[in-house]
Amino acid sequence: MALKNQYKYEWLGLLRDRWIIVLSLILLVVCFYAAHNGKEKVTERQAPLEKAFEEERAADDMYVALIDSVDLGLKPGLPVWQNPQRLNVIGQRAARVCAFEAQPLALVSTGQSDLFTHMVKPRLYGEALTLGFSELSNPVQLLFGSFDLAFVSIYLLPLLVLAFSYNVLSSEKESGTMRLTLVQPVAPTRWLLNKLVIRYIILSVVFIVAFVFSLSISGLSVIAEIGSVVKLIIAVLAYMLFWFGLSFWVNLRGKSSGSNAVVLVSLWVLLVLLVPAIISQLANSLYPVPPRVGMLTELRKAEAEAQKKADEILSNYYRDHPELARTDTSEQSLYPFWLSYFASQEEIRKAVEPILVDYESKLQAQQRTVDKLRFFSPAVLLQNSFNELAGTSSRHYTAYRQQVVDFAGTWREFFVPRMFRNEVMKKEMLSGLPQFAYNDDEVEQQFLADITGLLLLAIGVFSLSLLVYRNQAVERILAV
Amino acid sequence: MNMILKIAAKEMKEVLRDGRFRVLSALCLVLLVVAAFSGKRYYDFVNAQHKEAAEKERLNWTSQEAKNPHSAAHYGTYAFKPKYPMSLLDQGVDKYTGVSIYLEAHVRNEAQFIAAQDQTGLSRFGDLTPDFVLLFLVPLLIILVGFNAITRERESGTLRLLQSMGVSPERLAVGKWLGIMMPVILLTTISFFLAALFLGNLSDFGELSWSALLILFGVYVLYYAIFSNIVLLVSAWVNKSSIAFVILLAVWMVACLGMPKVVTNLADQLYPYPTQQEFMEAVNEDKKKGLDGHDPWNDAARKLEQEVLAEYGVDSVQQLPFNFDGYLMQKGEEHEAEIFFKHYEHLKEIYEKQSRLYRNAAALSPFLPARFLSMAMCRTDYHSHWHFSNEAEKYRLEMMNALNMDFADNSRYGDWSYKSDPELWNKIQPFDYTPPTYASVLSANTGNFVVLVVWLAVSFGFVVIRCTTLKP
Repeated sequence: MALKNQYKYEWLGLLRDRWIIVLSLILLVVCFYAAHNGKEKVTERQAPLEKAFEEERAADDMYVALIDSVDLGLKPGLPVWQNPQRLNVIGQRAARVCAFEAQPLALVSTGQSDLFTHMVKPRLYGEALTLGFSELSNPVQLLFGSFDLAFVSIYLLPLLVLAFSYNVLSSEKESGTMRLTLVQPVAPTRWLLNKLVIRYIILSVVFIVAFVFSLSISGLSVIAEIGSVVKLIIAVLAYMLFWFGLSFWVNLRGKSSGSNAVVLVSLWVLLVLLVPAIISQLANSLYPVPPRVGMLTELRKAEAEAQKKADEILSNYYRDHPELARTDTSEQSLYPFWLSYFASQEEIRKAVEPILVDYESKLQAQQRTVDKLRFFSPAVLLQNSFNELAGTSSRHYTAYRQQVVDFAGTWREFFVPRMFRNEVMKKEMLSGLPQFAYNDDEVEQQFLADITGLLLLAIGVFSLSLLVYRNQAVERILAV
Repeated sequence: MNMILKIAAKEMKEVLRDGRFRVLSALCLVLLVVAAFSGKRYYDFVNAQHKEAAEKERLNWTSQEAKNPHSAAHYGTYAFKPKYPMSLLDQGVDKYTGVSIYLEAHVRNEAQFIAAQDQTGLSRFGDLTPDFVLLFLVPLLIILVGFNAITRERESGTLRLLQSMGVSPERLAVGKWLGIMMPVILLTTISFFLAALFLGNLSDFGELSWSALLILFGVYVLYYAIFSNIVLLVSAWVNKSSIAFVILLAVWMVACLGMPKVVTNLADQLYPYPTQQEFMEAVNEDKKKGLDGHDPWNDAARKLEQEVLAEYGVDSVQQLPFNFDGYLMQKGEEHEAEIFFKHYEHLKEIYEKQSRLYRNAAALSPFLPARFLSMAMCRTDYHSHWHFSNEAEKYRLEMMNALNMDFADNSRYGDWSYKSDPELWNKIQPFDYTPPTYASVLSANTGNFVVLVVWLAVSFGFVVIRCTTLKP
C-alpha cells in the first residue's frame, strides 16, 4: 500500500514539476538537431554515389550503342584504344563503382565515416597497388567531430540523468520532509530506489519519444528498421541505468545537493572524457598501430625487386605507360602487349601482396586488443554499439576495403582469361560484368557483448552501493 | 588598491586551503605528467619510424640501377612529415593528417597514412595529451573552484557586511578575480615550467621554440582569464551557488564540446569539400583539355612543337639540340602541376571559408581561438600541414625537372632506351623540410589573438558592470 502510494504521489509530483518539462524539451530539441545533422551527412555521402551509378548506367548504354555501330562498320576511324570491342578498353574505361552505401541507421552516428571514401573504381590497369580509401576532408572537422545522436546519447544524456536525480534524497533532507518520509514503513534505500525507478521510467519514455520522433522526421522508416532501432534504444537505456546507478550511490552518501552535484559531474568528466582518453592514449603507447611507414619501405623494396623481373617480361617504359602500346596489334593476338603487361603486373602483385596481408593481419590483431579496452568505460561501449548499428564502425570500413580489394581481383579475373582466349567484347557481356555489392555479413557483431558490459556495469554500481550503505543508511541519511 | 589585495589574498588563501583546488590541481598535474610521458613514448616511436623510413627510402632512390630518368620519376620517392617536440604539448590535427606524400611523375598526391584510419572508434574520444588537460580540464577546475565565489558571500550574508565596510564593487570584483586567477596562474606556471624542463632535454628542441612556449603560455593564461571572468560573472549574477554551478557547467559544455561540433556541421553543410573522386575527376577533366606530355598527337603538344621549331629555326624535332620528348614531358609536367595548383587553390579557398566560420563562431566560444592558437604554436594545425604539402610539391617539381631535363639534354629524339647514369639519383638532394617561421605563424593567427583579447575585455567589462550593481 505504502509502495503504491509512493509511486502515485511521486508520479503526480513529477508531472507538476516544471523541471521535467524543461529537460524533456531540451532533449527533444537536441535530438532533433542531431538527427538533422546526421541526415545531412548521409545525403552528402549518398549524392556522389547516386551520381556515379547514373554515370555508370549512361556509359554502359553508350558502350552498347558503340559496339553496335562498330559491328555494323559505322565507325571506321575509331582508334584501337577507344574500341569498345577490346576487352582491355572496357576493363579500364567501364570500371564498376564499388560503393559503400549508407545503411539505414547511418544518420545516428557519424562514426568513422568522415575518414573514408565511400566509392572506389578499381580499374584493369594503371592502378596503384594499394588502393586509396582516404576521403578529402578538413582535419579540424575530424578533430571536433559531428553533433549527432551518438554524441547526444553518450555525452548529454548522462548529464540530464544527473540533473534529474542528483538531489532526490538531499532535497528532502534540506526541506525537512526527510523525517516524515522515514516514518513510513519503507526502508530508506528501497524508498530512494523507488524514486529513481520512477525517474528512470519517465526519462526513458521521454528519450524514446524524442529519439523515435527525430528519426522519423529525418525520413527514417522506424517500422522498417524496428530491429536496429530497438537495439539502439536498449543500449541507451542500459547506459542510462548505469548513470542512475551512480546517482543512487551518490544520493546514498547522504551529503548536500551541492556536494552531490559536484561529485556526479566529476564522475561524468571522469567516465565520459577522461577514461576514454586515457584508454586511447594507453592503447597508443602500449599497443601502437603497426607502423605504416615501416610497411611502406618493405613494400617499395619488394616492388623494386619484382619490377626487375617484370622488366624482363615487358619493356620498362611501357610498364609505366601501357596506354601508349595502342599500336601493338597483330593478326595472331588482339592483346599481345596486354598479356605480357598483366604477366609483369602479376609478378609485382605476388611480391607485394604478402606484405599487405601481413600488415592487415597485424593491424586486426592490434584492433582486437584495443577493442577489449572498451569494457572499462560505458561511454566507449555505447559508442561501439552506435557505430555498429549505424554501419560506421572501423570494422565496417575494414570489411569494405577488403571487399573492394577482392572485387578488383574478380574484375581482373573476368577480363584477363578472356583476353588470353583472344575474345572480343560483345554488347550482351556488358550486363554480365561483375558487380560490386557491399555486404556486412563478415562484420563481427559486438552488440551482445556491449550490452552485457553495460548491464554488468550498471548492476555492479547498484549492488556495490547497496552493499556499502545497507547497514548505515538511516544514520547517514539523517546526519545533517 | 590595498583593499583589492586584501580581498585577493583572502580569496586566494581560501582557494588554496580548499581541498577541491588542491586535489584537482594535483590531479591535473599528474595527468599532465602522465600525458607527457606516454606521449613521449609514442613520439619517439613515430620519429624513429620516420627516420628509418626516410633513410631507407633515400637508399631505395639512390640505389636504382641505370634506367630511363622517366622510369625513375615513376618509381618516385616519399616525403615524410617530421614531428616536432612542441607536438608533445598539443597533438592538434596530427592524427587526422597523413604523414607521407608519394612524389611521382604527373600526379600531386595527398598525404597518406592517417593515423586515425588505422585506429578504432575509441580514438575519436580524444587522447590524454597535455592539450586535452589544458583545454578541457583546467577550465572545469576554474569552474569548480570559483562558481560560489560571490554566491557564497551572498548566501552567508557576508556580502552585506563587505558592502557596509565600504568596499567598492569594482574592488570586490578585481579582488575576487585575482583570487581565482592567481592559483590558476600558479598551476599554469608550474605546468609550463615542467614542460620546459621536459622539452628542453630533447635534443631537437630548438632555441626558437622557447619563444613559442612562452607565447603558448600567454595563450593559455588569456584563455583561463576569460573563463575566470565568466565564472565570476555568473557567480555575481545568480543567487544560489547550485544554480551558478549548473549554468557554468552548461557554458563549459557549449563552449568546449557543443560549439566546435555545431560549427563543424555548419561548415560542412555550407562549404563542403569535394569528395576524393570528384576532386580527381575535375583534375582529369582539365588534364584532358590540356597538354599531354606523353602524347605527341595531342593538339596542345603539336602547337608546342610548332613553337619550339620556330624558335630554334629548324623544321623537324630531330634537328633540335635536345631531345624533344624530354622537353615535351617537362612541359607536360609543368602544365599538370598548374592544374593541380589550381584545384588545390580551390580546396584552400573552401578551407579558408571554413576557417573564417570557426573564427566567427569564436564569438560564442573562447575555446575555439584558444584551440587554434595552441595547435598553431605547436605546428600541429591544418595550416602547418598545408605548408608541408606545398613544400613537398615544390620539391617534386624540382625533381621532375631535373629528371626530364637530363633526358632532354643527354639523349636523342626517339631514343626511349636512353638510360641515365645512377650518379643522377645522387645528384637530386633529399627533401629537407623547413617549417614556416613563428613570425608567419603569428601573423596568420592575429585574428585568433584579437578574438581572445576582445573576449577578455568584454567579459571583464561585464563583470565590473555587474558588480557595480551588486545587491546583497
